[in-house]
Amino acid sequence: MAEDDQKNSSPVTPSSLGAFQFRRVRSVPGPLTRFQSIRPQILQQVSERTFQNLEGAPLEVLLGEALYAERLRMSRDRWNPFTRGRVQGDQKLWGQIQRGLLQPAAEVDRKGLLQRVIQHNAEEIGGFFDSKIYEFATHAVPWGFSWMLNAASVRRFLPWGMTESLRSRIRILGEVKSLQKLAEKGTILLVPTHQSNLDSLLVGYVIYLMSLPPFAYGAGLNLFSNPFLSFFMSRLGAYTVDRNKNNAIYKQTLKNYSSQILKEGIHSIFFPGGGRSRSGAIESHIKLGLLGTGLEAQVEAMIDGRPKSKVFVVPMVVSYHYVLEARSLIDTYLAEAGKHQFIRARDESWQIRKVLSFFWKLFASQSNVTVRVGRALDIFGNFVDDEGHSIGPQGLTIDPARWLTSGGELRVNPQRDQEYTRELGERLADRFHKENTVLTSHLVAFSYFEMLRARYPDFDLFRFLRLSLPQRTVLWVDFLDEADRCRERLVALAQQGQLYLSDELLHAPNARVWVRDGIRQLGLSHDAQVLRVSERTIWTEDMNLLYYYRNRLTGYGLSRLAEFSGGKKQFGQNDSQGFLV
Amino acid sequence: MTPKDFWYNSTVAVVGGGSWGTVLAHLLSKNCRSVRIWLRDEDQVRQFNSTRTQSRYMPRVQLDQKVVATSSMADALKGGVQAIFWVLPSSACRQRARDLAPLMRGDEVVLHATKGIEGGSMKRISEILVEELPTRRVGVVSGPNLAHEIAVGEPAATVIASDFVEVCRAGEFLLRGPQFLVSTHSDLVGIEWAGTLKNILAIAAGALDGLGLGWNSRAMLITLGLSEMVRFGTAMGAQVQTFLGLAGIGDLLATCGSPKSRNYRVGFRLARGEKLERIIEDLGSTAEGVVTTQHVWRFACERGISMPITEGVYQLIYSSVPAQEVLMQLMKRW
Repeated sequence: MAEDDQKNSSPVTPSSLGAFQFRRVRSVPGPLTRFQSIRPQILQQVSERTFQNLEGAPLEVLLGEALYAERLRMSRDRWNPFTRGRVQGDQKLWGQIQRGLLQPAAEVDRKGLLQRVIQHNAEEIGGFFDSKIYEFATHAVPWGFSWMLNAASVRRFLPWGMTESLRSRIRILGEVKSLQKLAEKGTILLVPTHQSNLDSLLVGYVIYLMSLPPFAYGAGLNLFSNPFLSFFMSRLGAYTVDRNKNNAIYKQTLKNYSSQILKEGIHSIFFPGGGRSRSGAIESHIKLGLLGTGLEAQVEAMIDGRPKSKVFVVPMVVSYHYVLEARSLIDTYLAEAGKHQFIRARDESWQIRKVLSFFWKLFASQSNVTVRVGRALDIFGNFVDDEGHSIGPQGLTIDPARWLTSGGELRVNPQRDQEYTRELGERLADRFHKENTVLTSHLVAFSYFEMLRARYPDFDLFRFLRLSLPQRTVLWVDFLDEADRCRERLVALAQQGQLYLSDELLHAPNARVWVRDGIRQLGLSHDAQVLRVSERTIWTEDMNLLYYYRNRLTGYGLSRLAEFSGGKKQFGQNDSQGFLV
Repeated sequence: MTPKDFWYNSTVAVVGGGSWGTVLAHLLSKNCRSVRIWLRDEDQVRQFNSTRTQSRYMPRVQLDQKVVATSSMADALKGGVQAIFWVLPSSACRQRARDLAPLMRGDEVVLHATKGIEGGSMKRISEILVEELPTRRVGVVSGPNLAHEIAVGEPAATVIASDFVEVCRAGEFLLRGPQFLVSTHSDLVGIEWAGTLKNILAIAAGALDGLGLGWNSRAMLITLGLSEMVRFGTAMGAQVQTFLGLAGIGDLLATCGSPKSRNYRVGFRLARGEKLERIIEDLGSTAEGVVTTQHVWRFACERGISMPITEGVYQLIYSSVPAQEVLMQLMKRW
């Protein structure tokens, strides 16, 4: 397995590549490159289609509901000077709709109102693409990072000087070649795990490093409130997703937009977990709404007889030693799970100082981010080979046209397609766990947490998280033993193909080495170190953060206290004390 | 083409020619263009095609000209079929599915009528079929359907369940007849487990009759047995409601009261003190409940699900505890 990793990673992570010999990765043109020319047409089609979808509904109710939801949202939304224009636009539109709805239907055509709302939505969702900005972002921005990295790295004192680059800090493992091939044979739907707001940028940059053409992606509207990011993202193919807008008209427009660009053959990125993982665990519940647009796009492209109509779903798992927003995420999770007196922290991710500090520490600490490109799936969740053929049971090739034939005809069948998508979601969650690369810090957090938990088996989660300092201190030697035992179980799992281990874990000469590395890396960007070691003992400074990082290893049945008995078949469903297992 | 026209013009394969497979082929022949039935034994195929009866299991049913028997799966699926009815015992399921898979095209609808599970993995038949066949459109036919009664045209009702509505609709179009009601259901898990679990209770019911007991004890068994089924079923992800329908209580009543049920006969003869090997030999066909009891009881023990009746049936079958004693222990526990 380790050999496999190295083989796959070598073309894209030349770790000795220096900033001075910074070789340009050619940016590859793709369907998105000509996006500007087809944009009006796409928006037009999206609007028309959404109108068709909704025309039959009782418009009075539909618009009324949307108006109500939007008013509620606008009263809650915070805005800043940069988003003011958009907020005012929204207010104006809904003011008009409100006035329109107050008039009798004979005087103000409801269909006209609906059309206005749809067009407004489509215009807000629709992204842009500017190849000049793309060139700039993929080259100049990493140069800037490289510069910072070299300033931060201790290696600058070494005679050969600046030998670091951003690229050497991003390990790209897995099925890179297969992804490159498939990108030419169909449309890629890249589905990464989502932990941090940095993911959008990171995944975008990884795509560029892999010599793939630029991808379109949905970015949360909150990211657009920063003028700097907004400028770049909106010109790099990002379209806007506002999770706060949950009215039916908006959702339908968004789905149609996503489906339309996939149909145009524009590779796309979805974060399928519905926002960042709050608990720190890998996504096990996949949101099916947007994911389903992949199938829709493929069926319609096949019916139209377009070439390269296949959509390939490629999972990607990003492993961080530390997550910028960990504290606010876990607090939010605990507040929701426990409904306790947790005071919700402010979302800390985009305070510039923190972002800079993140990168500084990333470089200064010789740390890195691991990205694994998973095996590609077809739109039903079957594996595909490098040629893009779907592989079914016993290695049989599956003809997707047959799977999409109902009653003797190739056709859209909403219930069937929904069911296919549900299965895809389940298989995707499974793949996420199997394509996960476990880092030293994850395992340190997990084994420490589980060791403590074994001492207090009767405590529920919230009581456990409030252990006192003496209670959460253990002997260093005991911990080393426990951690090593944990590692052995992980090695066994890795051999079964249940997960991957990072090189530091797999090839560690002894427990001391990887445990030290893990402790050092764990939550490095936070104010306090999560785990601290004295001569003979080890203790944690922050139980919540420890819990967050520990959760990365849930879903594998590793927890020693996981409940086997109980009235549920699936392992992990029996979790009476509220820990994730 | 409307769905009705589509299914009237379809070709359907029935895999497995036991009593229920034969009756299904008979029902199907009224609603589609042709039916091919796959039998393992070549002699039986010859006999079937010449006499138009399944002489071994179902001699009284005269089949339509549309029904053709074959012992080759390739012939059964030649030129493509629109639906496959899967009527094999659970023990043969995975291997036969592997044989069938390369012959399929991928647009077939598959409906199985096996009331059993795969031992060890505790997988339902539809799960095995999805794992082994190149299709996801799989469903189940279940309900109080004693083959002999349907064969002579007595009224009966059945349930079709699948995650795919089109699979349910297909089953409805294909099986519906003047004396045969077909309803559809979305709880595939529940319908499959209900059919599987009731076989354990059928053995118990047979045993009660073997002891010469009356209706009070049978009612006690059915009622307490149903709640045991629900307990286990919901742990496996089924909905409680499902057990109150045709495939749950309906099937339970039919099997627990009918000496025609194979599982019932096993229980009856065990209670009379006969040996299991001997009984199975005499039956000539599979009694699913015998193996199901073993797997379900083990699983329930592991997960701490309380199943006293299943435990009793297990002791009756595998530990050779006399029925009288099993019953006494049960009465103490309740």
